[in-house]
Amino acid sequence: MKIKQLQLNNFRNIEKIELNPDNNLNFFMGNNAQGKTNILEAIFFLATGSSFRSKEDANLVKFDSRGLYLKASYNYQDKNANTTLSYEQQKGKIIKINGKKPGQSNANRLKTVLFIPDDLFLVKGTPAKRRNFLDFVLKQISNEYNFNFNNYTNILKKRNFLLKKEQFKSRSFTIVNDLFIDSAVKLLMARLNYVNILDASVREIYEKLNVAPQQLKIRYALSFPLDNGKINLETLREKLSKEVAQRNEMEVKKRITVLGPHLDDMHIYQDGRLARQFASQGQQRNISVCLKLAELESFNKISGYYPVLLLDEVLAELDSEKRQLLIDYLLKARFQSFLTSVSLDKINLSQAAIFTIKNGCLMRKE
Amino acid sequence: MRLARPLENLIDQLLILPTIGPKTAQRLALFILKLPVGEVRQLAQAMVDCREKVYPCPRCGYLTDVEPCIICRDESRDQSILCVAEEASDIIAMERTGFRGCYFVLNKNFNLMEDKGLEEIDLQPYMERLQSGKVKEVVLALNPDIDGEILSRYLAKITAAQEVKVTRLAHGLPVGGDIEFADELTLRRALEGRKEF
Repeated sequence: MKIKQLQLNNFRNIEKIELNPDNNLNFFMGNNAQGKTNILEAIFFLATGSSFRSKEDANLVKFDSRGLYLKASYNYQDKNANTTLSYEQQKGKIIKINGKKPGQSNANRLKTVLFIPDDLFLVKGTPAKRRNFLDFVLKQISNEYNFNFNNYTNILKKRNFLLKKEQFKSRSFTIVNDLFIDSAVKLLMARLNYVNILDASVREIYEKLNVAPQQLKIRYALSFPLDNGKINLETLREKLSKEVAQRNEMEVKKRITVLGPHLDDMHIYQDGRLARQFASQGQQRNISVCLKLAELESFNKISGYYPVLLLDEVLAELDSEKRQLLIDYLLKARFQSFLTSVSLDKINLSQAAIFTIKNGCLMRKE
Repeated sequence: MRLARPLENLIDQLLILPTIGPKTAQRLALFILKLPVGEVRQLAQAMVDCREKVYPCPRCGYLTDVEPCIICRDESRDQSILCVAEEASDIIAMERTGFRGCYFVLNKNFNLMEDKGLEEIDLQPYMERLQSGKVKEVVLALNPDIDGEILSRYLAKITAAQEVKVTRLAHGLPVGGDIEFADELTLRRALEGRKEF
């Protein structure tokens, strides 16, 4: 997927920007508070309908204007599509794909992989960060996952409600529990399969982005023990049912669901040791970047095309050697990337499109 | 600007109706003002009559003003097939299909998150229907959401315990729809529920 044309009107500090990005690397340079990240935010907003910085859509409108308008034209798998998004206080948010309201299928939506400095916590942070990472990709890839995920969340809420009300002997609980196992297993299977694909991709990328690479490995960590051997829907269901039955007493005591995909984790190992505990700060940053790049690769393996990569201020986090390796990787890649940075700082950017941004105005550097 | 008090009152009353917002309420009120008094009286009387005379049939739950209701008294209907629905309005929808069995509307007092579990459903009338021995098949026509799924599984269990066959409405493609445009979820459901041809 490549963005051919991008238009921003009254978005944050930007009054009007129109640009035709390069197919490969697009580098946005500027001082703090000039609007670099706003461009990435606009692309992400178009793709997902929500911002990664603000929960209130109204905050995204330029302060002296009534509403914002964004448009991206892009192609994927030889098809052209465009998404527009408008927001006005009274009319609310209106998203259109090819001029029409988006349907149930998300096939022609703009797809992105986003890296923000906060993602450095992917390795070090709570398991919820890593689960969100998996869920975000899987939801973009598959409508079915999205449906199952919402289903699971809904059922879990009911199950927890019943446990809290101490109704674990009620008729409702038995049935809700069955539904819980059914939907949990579907999520688990999708995540297990996905992590396998991710594992293969991340290894390759990690080797390219490091001078003296160590071995990197990712494993999906279930909230209950699973014997090695064949994993499929049936064996998972059987095992989960058994585990749920075994933890009945604990759940009754704690009055909350104590296992399931909402408590799982993704373990990242560097040379066989948990990166969360043993990798240095710098290594953790590097692994986070690799995971995001692996997200792109795995998306391509599953869907047959790459999403657009958005990298916000990632260079500041890496040493000069790794910085150049990353830039070289992006320059050679088959996907389109948008990268922001304060300066060029000794980087060789021969083939990239470089834009400077100042006070919401954009200029292409020749 | 202040409206005349009776007009304001009418608008406020109309606002309690579903799908009616302030603008529509005002429009309806102004329209009523233009009608002859006789017609307005008829309209008002129709509302009161309907509310006073129509109630759910105690046997099947269909909305009726006579007992037994027109469905229950119809002897040409197939007594061996019983369709279970959540609301009386679902019967109206089912009737449009030409279904010729009988109905049962659950007195739906089921909402887990409001602490109303399956125990709150009064199953006595349903069990009586099953135990009459006439019913050979129960068709579950509940909404395809999570609450509907919980209810379906529950009813399937107790119905099967009475040795009555249980079926449910198929999930899948809309008639006249295009496979090309069906989302993968619906299509998957349709595939799972495929029939021998």
